[in-house]
Amino acid sequence: MHAHPTRRELLKAGGVGLLTFTLGGSVVKLSPAEAQAAGVPLAALTREEADTLAALGERLVPGSREAGVVAFVDYQLAASSGDCMLMLQYLGVDPPFTPFYREGLAALNVAARALYKLPFAELQDAPADALVDALAEGKIEGWTGPPPPLFYFVVRNDACDVTYGTEKGFAALGVPYAAHITPPSAWGEPS
Amino acid sequence: MTALPTEKIDAVIVGSGAAGSHFAARLAQAGKRVAILEAGPARENEDLVSSMLWARRLKGSGAPVLETGKDTVGYGFNAGRGVGGSSMHHYAVWPRMHENDFRVKSLYGRSRDWPIGYADLQAYYDRVQDECGIAGEHRMESTRPPGAPYPMPRVPVFEQGRIVGHGFEAMGMKVSPLPLAVTTRAFRGRPQCMWDGWCDAGCPIGALANAQTVHLPQAQAAGATLHPDTEVVRVLTDASGKRATGVEAITKDGQRVKVMADVVVLAAFTIQNPRLLLASATAQHPDGLANASGTLGRFITGHMAVPVFGLHEKETNPGFGASGGQLLNQEHYDDKNAHKAKGAFGSYQWMIAQAMKPNGLLGIASSRPDLRGKALSEFMERASRHMITMTGVVEDEALAENRVTLSARKDAAGVPLASVAHTSSKASNALWDVAAAEGVRVFEAAGAKEAWHANRAPMHIMGGTVMGESAANSVTNSYGQCHDVPNLFIGGAGLFPTSAAVNPTFTLHALSARSVEHLVANWSAAVG
Repeated sequence: MHAHPTRRELLKAGGVGLLTFTLGGSVVKLSPAEAQAAGVPLAALTREEADTLAALGERLVPGSREAGVVAFVDYQLAASSGDCMLMLQYLGVDPPFTPFYREGLAALNVAARALYKLPFAELQDAPADALVDALAEGKIEGWTGPPPPLFYFVVRNDACDVTYGTEKGFAALGVPYAAHITPPSAWGEPS
Repeated sequence: MTALPTEKIDAVIVGSGAAGSHFAARLAQAGKRVAILEAGPARENEDLVSSMLWARRLKGSGAPVLETGKDTVGYGFNAGRGVGGSSMHHYAVWPRMHENDFRVKSLYGRSRDWPIGYADLQAYYDRVQDECGIAGEHRMESTRPPGAPYPMPRVPVFEQGRIVGHGFEAMGMKVSPLPLAVTTRAFRGRPQCMWDGWCDAGCPIGALANAQTVHLPQAQAAGATLHPDTEVVRVLTDASGKRATGVEAITKDGQRVKVMADVVVLAAFTIQNPRLLLASATAQHPDGLANASGTLGRFITGHMAVPVFGLHEKETNPGFGASGGQLLNQEHYDDKNAHKAKGAFGSYQWMIAQAMKPNGLLGIASSRPDLRGKALSEFMERASRHMITMTGVVEDEALAENRVTLSARKDAAGVPLASVAHTSSKASNALWDVAAAEGVRVFEAAGAKEAWHANRAPMHIMGGTVMGESAANSVTNSYGQCHDVPNLFIGGAGLFPTSAAVNPTFTLHALSARSVEHLVANWSAAVG
């Protein structure tokens, strides 16, 4: 993935699976992964939250950073609740959902700093994995965010959604997509 | 958008899902002036995007529902949002209830009885099946109660179904084709299903029987008007409190309007019907409309699903087929005390070999939520080709304390939110454990290299506005007609006094067919 998609690449994508973003004053269409790489401004999350989410997503589901886990979650949090595609809406958590992510990601960084003096996104493999294990088991001392196993489950699922739940994700698994109605975009922005 | 009626009409129907659309079609065809008010947005076939992400727009509904108790009923996953309601994402598994399901109290001394028996519903099951279309093979389905043969040939069995079917046979248990309201041939102008497993996202080709495919077109052809984005906030009554006069609703642009009608039909899903009635309290009905008995909101039941998974050495093509499955087993269904020795009570059935997509709450990745990192990547590579699955549907004892109440919190329109408390009985939980252990044994017998079950998952919500013989302990009579307000009818699975252990949609259609026939035949008496 190039840091800045070329015009040719954008045209090649043909408007399918693209989100509309304003970059440098002009409106462009990017896939979520391209948007993430191009550093598109975030709509709901802060940069630190986005970096934490990307790092946690990647640790849970390899490939999810490039597949656009941050762009997906950020876009969905900013979308109207009626169009929300986050699995969180099934799990008994009241909207708006941004505080759920904000508090969970902040709590993860608090834990990372307390244990290793670094934010989660900057941890090496071993401490990061140990912290994710503790998150999954709900065994992080002093945790103040949403219930840790629920937070783990939700972010893991978001990361699975972008990695495995798109036409590209099916293709990577070798699973036929066989759409009746082809998704007009990966996760909902009307073209 | 069609304008809301400004003059009094014959019937206003709240909700455009399975029950509401059924009522609307029959009433409009009987010459009644009918308006259907739907809280959610309009839906067209092109909105039914084949994607487990896009599919989430079809679920949940409006204001949050607060859930408490040990075994929450999963409103967000089970409710429907938009025209067609939850019928748009239901999987169309349509078995009939069994004779013992209607007489749980009389036969076993537990739970409740229905005010009708199987014989009262048989003709309506037959009629609905003829109209909506069910694929099945009654001669192979030995546990099926009496009734007309299915109108369409059985659902095909693919590799996943063959493998799991062998597991049942190896344990001396019978499987039969799953009765599915999905087309196995062209049926009443609807094309044949293509079996690519996208039922959860809504079927845009009309192969699956839902409100948009069957009853809404009939209702609209007969003159009923459909009003999306119109959320009913109150049922209105006259000064005596004995007659409903219409409903108050809020339109998309925030206007508060009244739609007046001779008959009000509440078909706004299991949780929202009691919420609306509780929120429509008046001086004559201080504890909520139609709640003289004190049973309004009570006896909420939910099927706790048993998700069973396995990995088989053969390729199983798990994304293929129908979301509901391919085969059925109801081995011990007719004896609710079959597992009494283990402290269990009730019936259960297996829906076998569901089509599974890689992501989503019921997807392949969620079958092993413990896996992450490289282990998850490796699992997904393997499981997306070799997965087998089935789902147990476990009866949930009807308990008065499992109920909908109003929260102190209110929605934007000032209506108190629904709070739903649900904790399954010990005997229901014990039955779940029996089923889960059996499921894993079946998969081992099928030759699975690994077999496991996931945690209980809430599926289908029933009760809360239960029907009964006596006005002293139920909300409606067997026609869904409120004891206290005879021109107020309720449609849907909220009427079920007990949950049984079969999927509810076929039965709620049979009940709707019976109710609306009664209403048309006794219109003057109902209107009063």
